[in-house]
Amino acid sequence: VSPGVAPAEIREPVDEDVREPDWPWIVIVWNDPINLMSYVTWVFQKLFGYPRPKAEKLMWDVHTKGKAVVANGSQTEAEGYVARLHAYGLWATMQRDR
Amino acid sequence: VQAEAPFRRDGERYAVELSVELRRSLRGWAEDLRELVATQDPSSDASLQRLFPPAYPDDVLQNLDYEETTHDELRDARVASAETLIRTADETSISEEELLAWMRTCNDLRLVLGTRLDLTEETTEGDFAGDERASETYRAYVLLSAVVETIVGSLEADE
Repeated sequence: VSPGVAPAEIREPVDEDVREPDWPWIVIVWNDPINLMSYVTWVFQKLFGYPRPKAEKLMWDVHTKGKAVVANGSQTEAEGYVARLHAYGLWATMQRDR
Repeated sequence: VQAEAPFRRDGERYAVELSVELRRSLRGWAEDLRELVATQDPSSDASLQRLFPPAYPDDVLQNLDYEETTHDELRDARVASAETLIRTADETSISEEELLAWMRTCNDLRLVLGTRLDLTEETTEGDFAGDERASETYRAYVLLSAVVETIVGSLEADE
């Protein structure tokens, strides 16, 4: 089955206020004056497996817009990403995707 | 970083061509970093805080949880990387794992020194004219930047 023709997932209607899903956490990397552009691009490729053009685009977003959403997932997954970004010295935070 | 390709892929390993002086400097800085990270509490030092930023900047309690689960591991990884650089600073051939440890340690040092100097994207050496200590720190920062840049370049050359 090609991803292009898969039927859209059918979801039960849910009350947005009641639903408490575990997945909508986003990981944000913030601009800082120290980390090198080449280094940041490399880290995005290494940690997330992004192809170079996507990693470069995210790096430019960080550089020019001040921040970029680089990943999302459950709270546990997002914490894992943030910790790995912190291990590489990037300024990463996480928050609910609202 | 004088050599044309200070870090060069050589089979499964990387050839390192750096001056004796730069190797001595890198080892000394890595020793300083290990001392700082291993013995100081981040709350006592702004430059050290930069190495352990908050995951939840607007939620103190969540962030305490995050720090509790990650801080020791992140600290130990930083110390281990610094120790790898200290141990292999004179080697002319290092593994990829060791090269990545060099890169992370040099970048950690840039974060610490850059935070102490309160750098912006517009900072130049002229901003520290008349302050010999800050000028020296800035020159170290620039050297470390060149080292990180060339390591990233050598890793990219493998792609």
